[in-house]
Amino acid sequence: MTRNATMTSHAKERVVPTLLQWRFWVVVGAVGMVFLGLAFRAAYIQVIAPDNLIARSDSTTIRTKETPFYRGLITDRNGEELAVSVPVRAIYADPKVVHRDDGLADNRRWQALAEVLGQKVDELKAKVADPTRRFVYLQRQVSPAMADYVEQLDIPGIYLRNESRRYYPTGEVTAQLIGFTDVDDKGLEGIEKLYNNWLTGTPAKRKIRKDAKGRQVEIITEEEGEAPHNLQLTIDQRVQALAYRELKKAVHYYKATSASAVVADVNTGEILAMVNAPSFNPNNRQGVSAHRIRNRALTDAFEPGSSVKPLAVLSALEFGSVKPDSIIDTSPGWMRLGGSLVQDHANMGKIDLADIIKHSSNMGTSKLALSVPKQFLIDTYYDVGLMSDTGTNLIGESSGLFHEQNRWSDFELATLSFGYHISVTAMQLTRLYTIIGSGGIKRPLHIIHSDTKSEGERVLSEENTRAVLHMMESVLEDGGSGKKARVPGYRVAGKTGTSRKAVAGGYGEEYVNIFAGLAPASDPQLAVVVLINEPHGDLYYAGDTAAPVFGKVMAGTLQLLNVPPDDRKVSSLASNSGDSHAN
Amino acid sequence: MLTAKISKDKLDPNKRSLLQMIHVDGWLLLGLLVLMGVGLITIYSAGGQDWHLIQRQLIRLGVATIVMLAVAQIPVLALRRLSIYFYGIGVLMLIAVLAVGDVGKGAQRWLDLGFVRFQPSEILKLAVPMVVAWYISRFNLPPKLPQTFAGFILAAIPTLLIAKQPDLGTSLLIASSGVFAIFLAGMSWKLIGAVTVAVSGFTPIMWFFLMQDYQKQRVLTFLNPESDPLGAGYHIIQSQIAIGSGGLQGKGWLQGTQSQLEFLPERHTDFIFAVFSEEFGFFGVLGLLAIYSYIVVRGMIIAINSQDAFSKLLAGAITLTFFVYVFVNMGMVSGILPVVGVPLPLVSYGGTSMVTLMAGFGILMAISTQKRLMSRS
Repeated sequence: MTRNATMTSHAKERVVPTLLQWRFWVVVGAVGMVFLGLAFRAAYIQVIAPDNLIARSDSTTIRTKETPFYRGLITDRNGEELAVSVPVRAIYADPKVVHRDDGLADNRRWQALAEVLGQKVDELKAKVADPTRRFVYLQRQVSPAMADYVEQLDIPGIYLRNESRRYYPTGEVTAQLIGFTDVDDKGLEGIEKLYNNWLTGTPAKRKIRKDAKGRQVEIITEEEGEAPHNLQLTIDQRVQALAYRELKKAVHYYKATSASAVVADVNTGEILAMVNAPSFNPNNRQGVSAHRIRNRALTDAFEPGSSVKPLAVLSALEFGSVKPDSIIDTSPGWMRLGGSLVQDHANMGKIDLADIIKHSSNMGTSKLALSVPKQFLIDTYYDVGLMSDTGTNLIGESSGLFHEQNRWSDFELATLSFGYHISVTAMQLTRLYTIIGSGGIKRPLHIIHSDTKSEGERVLSEENTRAVLHMMESVLEDGGSGKKARVPGYRVAGKTGTSRKAVAGGYGEEYVNIFAGLAPASDPQLAVVVLINEPHGDLYYAGDTAAPVFGKVMAGTLQLLNVPPDDRKVSSLASNSGDSHAN
Repeated sequence: MLTAKISKDKLDPNKRSLLQMIHVDGWLLLGLLVLMGVGLITIYSAGGQDWHLIQRQLIRLGVATIVMLAVAQIPVLALRRLSIYFYGIGVLMLIAVLAVGDVGKGAQRWLDLGFVRFQPSEILKLAVPMVVAWYISRFNLPPKLPQTFAGFILAAIPTLLIAKQPDLGTSLLIASSGVFAIFLAGMSWKLIGAVTVAVSGFTPIMWFFLMQDYQKQRVLTFLNPESDPLGAGYHIIQSQIAIGSGGLQGKGWLQGTQSQLEFLPERHTDFIFAVFSEEFGFFGVLGLLAIYSYIVVRGMIIAINSQDAFSKLLAGAITLTFFVYVFVNMGMVSGILPVVGVPLPLVSYGGTSMVTLMAGFGILMAISTQKRLMSRS
């Protein structure tokens, strides 16, 4: 059979190959076509459409890594720390690993984890329930001790990461000014927000290529970052603490809604203290209502009332319509301007400029205001910065409220002279007083400590400001409205301001009490503004509320800064106390 | 004078070159050695510059080459006589594998003979073209319908047994080796048409009854790799990214990021073509295709020049099977075919299949160098 078959094929050998030959060449041709097809396929992927694929290759391998720094310190002018960063840990989970390594199996460890984190086991487990997720925070800003404990629990898929937490050693004293950061260390409020970039620097960036296991294999580009900077403020923490303590007491004692105080260096425009009460604890902001967070000294504008009266006197002196020794007739204690009434609490008759300030005569300032052209008056208000911000650049600073009008009635001009028709912040008022204190030089207020002194601009004459400053001393004399603001051993110039708060359709029953002043009056160093907002107690005149607070803040600050006393009249403690008794 | 001498040498059947005396086809050997060289260079890069890997591959290549040379010494007549026994033993082993075989990587492919573990499917890679060539060549060519049908049955038995293991890649290779032998024998075009129709009719049956879930998944993934970019589609997407990011000129040897950075799975075995493409670019791919074409053409020339039907069919079938290897591998890596575990012949790192492949080339060399003996007998 085999032989037979072999014979058959042999016999056919001469005929068959031609047919086979043809098929073989067809096959070779087909093979060639297929290879050509593969070449076209490769050409398509590699030459025609590679950009997309190259981009995808890069997108899987190239990563930009940022090396973050700790946030810089914020200190006061003496280097005392107001905001520091402390290293803490974040606990996070990789749910995929948790599920892969059966991390949920050991219930006891999860129980322990939940206990230490103060969370419920079920909620904790729910966070890692989705096995496709790769990253979920369990808790952030955990103390190192807690983190060590979690590390020892050694639950598969639970990891720790370094991060930093902002801590404010001075707590509520500087809370509104410094502000705070969010959990990612980004500034949210106050100085923390305003100088966020300065404090954080720019993280160093590294563009790297990584392999499938996440290992870095190549550094493509490296960008050097900028190290975070520390920030030194002009604040003197001692003054700040003192002012806060007094305000806190005042809010409590006078049952006020809030209180603000600003202490500024007259000669440099530096803010030594800016405080508000009630305050909050920036280290634990849970449940803090928003009004406590607001830096009212900057954000809230009030009608300043009598506290701007010295400005009305100044504009008349500057224009030359009166001399420092001029006598103004304020009788009969009231007058009608248009349809409206301007009046004093009593008929003071003919009084000099000092008495106008001392007794806070609305008649007097109104007459003075009307004695100058209205544009001159308004320009003076502009020049002393009552319509602009104070130059601190702080977040949320209000530049007050002032409605520029083409036509001013005499009554409106008169009210401007005693602090209505315009709203200013405590900061703006402080600025006005620094101008008076420095003999007419206007400087921007600032909060960041700097060795270069900002150039001042003369807006009022020295002669007139000195004269008004002296007149303002009389406010604290016997019979003046601000005698409770006295500081033993120092001559103090100041002015009270009690204004009704505007409500819809007129003025309501709420008051704003202001005392603004300068000391020592012989050579003013400090400007202090104290503002008590809405006192609900028995006392609601600035002379009873803001003035004593001012006195304590001013006295403490003068002492802390070692300012030499200038009151020669008070040479001994005995005569001083005797003097007090006389009132 | 000189020309006369040369032509006399050429014409003298007894005058044989040294290579012919040791039954080596020089042209084929050249192509194979170049390919092995390319393979070693690429494995060095794909394997993370691991000399150990290169040493192991060199040993394999050496063993495979020795096997090739040994097979080349076997008289073609003996191959022909032995083919039916060879086939029989192979099929029995396949049955044994299904009954008692070792499971590795989820499939039952290995047979442990006590002293050596191997995959019987490798035997069939040679046994099927041999037995089909043997069977068909017993009759007048072109074969008639019953003989064609019988040839198909011979190829189908091991194909199905291997598909059952399951090992789709190998069963595909074995089926094609049988079909190629029948086709080259002169199967009628009508029948080819009929078979094409039958196969397309068979596809749904295969899908629903024969294919395993993971195989179905592979096909689905092939049709839409983006459906599961991190799972089953990962291979395909990553390898295409690798090939594409090579561009025209490639990133250079050892410079391929996709492969060096371990994004590419199986990069020194089945997916080595992606590494090669990324590092050597489109020009490299053209070069590689040229080498493969050269080997295939040389194999077909050996087939055409051989003088009996058995040799022709066997040589043709082995050569075409080699071609199918190349096509399926490159096709799957470049995303025009679904992923089946077929290595890139002589370039991929790997063992058993290389020995079989080289044994096949040994048969080609036997046919190429022994034809004078045959014609004289």
